[in-house]
This record gives sequence, structure tokens and C-alpha cells, in this order.
Amino acid sequence: MSRHGLAHAFARVAAAAALLVAVSVASGTGALAAGQELGKVLPTRSPEKVYSSTCGYCHGHNVGPIIRGRGLPVETIEYFVRHGNGAMPAFRPTEISNTELKALAQWISQAPVDAKEHGQ
Amino acid sequence: MSGISRRDILAAGAVGSSLVAARAFATPLDGTRMLPKRMSRSTFATAVKELQAIVGSDWVFADEESTVSYRKSFIPDLRGEHVPSGAVAPESVEEVQAILKVANKYRLPLWPISTGHNMGYGMATPASSGQMILDLKRMNRILDFDAELGTILVEPGVTYQQIHDYIAEHKLPYWIDVPTVGPIVSMVGNTLERGVGYTPYGDHFFMQCGMEVVLADGSVLKTGMGSVQNSTTWQAFKWGYGPYLDGIFTQSNFGVVTKLGMWLMPQPPVYKPFVVRYPNAEDVAKATDTIRPFRMNNLIPNGVLIMGALYQLAMFKRRTDIFNGTGAIPEELIKAEARRNGLGMWNTYFALYGTDATIAATEPILRAAFEASGGEVLTEAEMTGNPWFEHHKTLMRGGMTLEEIGLVRWWGSNGGAVAFAPVAPAKGAETAGQSALAREIMNKHGFDYAPAYAVGGRELHHIIFLMFDKGDDDSSARAETCINEMIVRFGEKGWCAYRSSVSTMDLVARQYGETNRTVNARIKHALDPNHILAPGKQGIA
Repeated sequence: MSRHGLAHAFARVAAAAALLVAVSVASGTGALAAGQELGKVLPTRSPEKVYSSTCGYCHGHNVGPIIRGRGLPVETIEYFVRHGNGAMPAFRPTEISNTELKALAQWISQAPVDAKEHGQ
Repeated sequence: MSGISRRDILAAGAVGSSLVAARAFATPLDGTRMLPKRMSRSTFATAVKELQAIVGSDWVFADEESTVSYRKSFIPDLRGEHVPSGAVAPESVEEVQAILKVANKYRLPLWPISTGHNMGYGMATPASSGQMILDLKRMNRILDFDAELGTILVEPGVTYQQIHDYIAEHKLPYWIDVPTVGPIVSMVGNTLERGVGYTPYGDHFFMQCGMEVVLADGSVLKTGMGSVQNSTTWQAFKWGYGPYLDGIFTQSNFGVVTKLGMWLMPQPPVYKPFVVRYPNAEDVAKATDTIRPFRMNNLIPNGVLIMGALYQLAMFKRRTDIFNGTGAIPEELIKAEARRNGLGMWNTYFALYGTDATIAATEPILRAAFEASGGEVLTEAEMTGNPWFEHHKTLMRGGMTLEEIGLVRWWGSNGGAVAFAPVAPAKGAETAGQSALAREIMNKHGFDYAPAYAVGGRELHHIIFLMFDKGDDDSSARAETCINEMIVRFGEKGWCAYRSSVSTMDLVARQYGETNRTVNARIKHALDPNHILAPGKQGIA
């Protein structure tokens, strides 16, 4: 195993990345408005982001049932998020805020079917 | 929980679900067993008012409707022994300090959580009923990211998903190392529980560097180099000067960790995942003995998983997909189902990280050894699209997945699972012995043995996921008996758990000996004389 070769390759990647970071900071994109800034709490997320960061890892992805495109009632969705059900954990207002949950439930209720999703 | 099924709710529709919710909420949170021991209702109400003054009324949860999310867990709790009195959620260190002052004043026990998704071990629920959850999820700031050193400083509420997003957004050349449910759990919480992952940075506590702890008296300790004036080394050098303190704040109740530093793995130029399939149940010994030398000399650099067929199948299938009879599923059926899905009875996942040249130099050595042991070595060339291979390919590069939650619904929609995780030396005779004993006990109680071995270096964690039906009291009772019997009988052979559910903390702590417990008790009493922080955590009152 060539440890020198590995070290050089890692160094090249690191140098390229350092350059990238420097460029992004210099051009003012180091604090992109879209995401979380250093030292700040996580800003309110869009329903699409909450879905992709939490729900979508199970629902429509091998584990949970498909919930988009079914016109599920908003109250039902809110109930499940806060209570959990069976294998589904409960999610608290500290992790999905009441504001986020309201928007999420509306979004899921009205979302069309995503052909890429597959349920269980 | 109300016992109302998912199907009932879905069928009920909007109006129906509101009615169902109202019915569930009609059960009052006024059972005295849920209040802190020896605390009157009026004292509790006064404490709640003072907590509301600190964090705002929106962030104190002290009635049935608002605490329901904190009570959900997958483990058996037939006697209501893990029911919190409420929850309080601070947003800053100053608020944590003020809460501790109130807790000391009223002797209000607090159970700190980071994100509260400690899946197989009780989620957010406390070791004993009546404790108030100290929910740190709102403290979710990424405080520092050093792009040269690859270090990060985070608060407890930061999930692996947040860090993943931050890295992606800023195109930083680092990977994170995740437990199996990374998106919704905390880097701080998992590290403090001494959880493991599957990249070369898989031993999370080993990769931790510096922490900030609020002690019960409100004082703030920064460990390692963190208290040095003008320190620039807090996340670079672990050990500091004098006794190394970080360890006593892991799996403990000696303080509230409010900041934690971690090292991140530089993104490798090339990543190549492998699986080695073994056809028979007894092959686990050969797999173990083949892996050990490569973990010791680091030719295999990552946290290796030896996954049993049933653990794998349970991720994406339900029990009735395979078997409708009573008792444990016969081994031949498991073997046949595994084969149909491209799995062996044991499936060893490892990966190589480096350059094409370094991987090309290493791969033949590993292939030869695994093939000589009877394993079938496979890569993306053969396994792309296989959902289990794809899952582990994601994990071994620190990717986001929640697929292992699927195990919890093995017995049906009610869910139910509790983990038992004894450690052992990484020797074939040890894994063969542990698997035989676990299978015997679990099958006797009517459960299926769903194992995984996580091989660190010289040791391995045996992760046994006991799946049961939480909607069935008989199944829950058998699960409780079964887990207790496993803890006791494994303990008799010197095999003890590295971590345990809130329901078995005292039982496991006893196995580590009286002197150990006494030392922990003395430290506890010195740092938290009113015992307000998580009484019962890891068996420490």
C-alpha cells in the first residue's frame, strides 16, 4: 500500500477544497441564505425540506406507506406527526415546529403522487 | 398510547381524526405516579410557572396533549415506569442554568435529551416516571466548522442531517459518520451514548474533542483545552492537562452537555464498498476471525458490520411475508428467503477508501482471505440495486437513511422493539457462543433472533434487536422477560451490554460491580447533591 500516494491524493483534494472554501467566502456565498448559518439556530424550513429531511426517508422509501397523492386530511397528518404510530416515531414541536407542521400537513395533503416513491 | 391503529385514523378522515384525537387526549395526565416522587401537585405547578418564566409558556409541556410526543417509545413499558411529568425546552446555556436553579429549588428531576430518538433504548422516556424531560433540541446551532482541521463544534439539538446539509451547501471536503438513523438524531446525543457508525470514524466518542458541560449547580465546565484563555486548540487536542474528564459525562447523569466538538473524516478520492456473503448460520465464527486481523492492522479501516439474514430481511419485510406459524421462524425458511433476496445468512459489509491505486493494492489481499474462509466477495458490479447493499453503501460513506426503522414493524402496525447490545472480544468462538445463546433464549420466548455484529477493532458489539408486538400485552411481557434473561445469562459468561434501554439500566449496572457503582455514586453526589439530573441513568441514582 503506497501511503505516500494516498497522502498526496488526500492533500490534493484538501487543497482544492480549501481553495473552494476561500472562493466561496470571498464571494460572499459562505453564508448562503438558504441554509443554516454558523452560530444561528436552524431557520424555519419549507414543507418540501421537512418532508425530504424526515418523512421521505421512510414514506415512499421501502419502510412507510406512501402518503403523497392520497389527499390525506390535514388533521390526520398533524395527529400522526405528534403522536407517532407503531414504528413511526413521534415528532415534537422542538424538532418540527407548529408553524412547520401546519405547512407540512397542507403540503402533504395536496401533494401529487411521486412516481419515484414506493411504499411498504 | 390510545391503541388506535393507523388504518382507523386514515379511514376516519378529517372530522374523524379530530374525534379520535379528542378521545386520546381525554385521558388526563393526573395520575400521581407521573408526578415526580414526593412532589405535591401545587409544588409541581409552581415549578412549571417558574420554568415558563424562563423559556416562555410555549416551551413548557405539562399536560396530556403537549407531552404525548415525549411518551412514545418502542420498548415494553407495561407498568408505566417510564412516563415523564412534562418537558421544558431551553434555547440557550443561560436558560439551562436557570432551569437547573429551579430544579434544585423544588427537587424537580430532569431527564436531558438531545433529540430524543434513542430508538431501541427508550426514545425520550426517562429511567423512572415523573422526571421532566429537559429537551435540548432547540439548541441546534452549528457553532464552528474549521475547514482546515475538519473539526466541528455543535449544540445538542443539531442533527446529522443539519451537518450533512451544511457540508453540502458549503461544499466542504468532509464526511460525517452516522448511526443507522442519522437524519433525525443528534451528533451530541449519539456520541454521549457512545454510539457507533460505519466509516473509518465509526467510534464516535474516540472522534470527540472537547465539550461544554453545565453542572447541576449552574457552573459551566469546558473540558480539554476549552478553558484555556485564548485557546485555539479546543477541537484539536483531546486530553488537556490533568485527569481527562470527558468520559465521565458520557452515559452519565453528572452534568448537561451543551456543546461538543468532533473530528470529521476528510472525503477520500475513491470509495469502494464490499459485501461478503456467507451461506450458513455457523459461518459467523469464520467471518469474525477473518475480519479481526484486518481491523487490527487497519487494512479494513471502517466499522464493519456482520449482518444476520433476519436483521436484514426485517428492514424491508414483515414477518407475515415469510412465516405465518407460531414460534420462531425455522432456520431453513430464513435461509431460503435470504437467498431469494441476494443475501447470505451472514453478510459482512466493509469498504475501502483511498485512491484507485491503494484500493487495487489492498483488495486482492482481502478477497483472498475472505474467499479462503468460505465467503463470497461482491461489489457494486454484482450488487447495485440490491436494497440491502445500497443501504450499507450509504451508511459506510456517512449517508442519510432511516431504513432500519423498518425493523420495528416486524410483527405488524403496532411496532415494538428493544435492543440488547453485549460486547465481546472479536474472536470467532465468542460470536458463535453469543449467537447460540441468544437464539436459544429468544426462540424459547417465541421471538426471532435478528442479529448484527459491529466490529470495532479488537472488540465487537452484538446488536440484538428484539422485535415484538407492543400492541399485545402478552408479547410485551414476554419481550421484557426475554431481554432480562438475556442480560442475566450473557452476564454470567462475562458478556455485558455496552448500553441499555431505560428499562434495564439498573440490571446492567449491577453486573459491572459494586465498587464501580459506589465510585459513580460518590461522583454523582459530589456534583449533583440534590440528584436532580436524570436519576437512574445507567443505574446511577
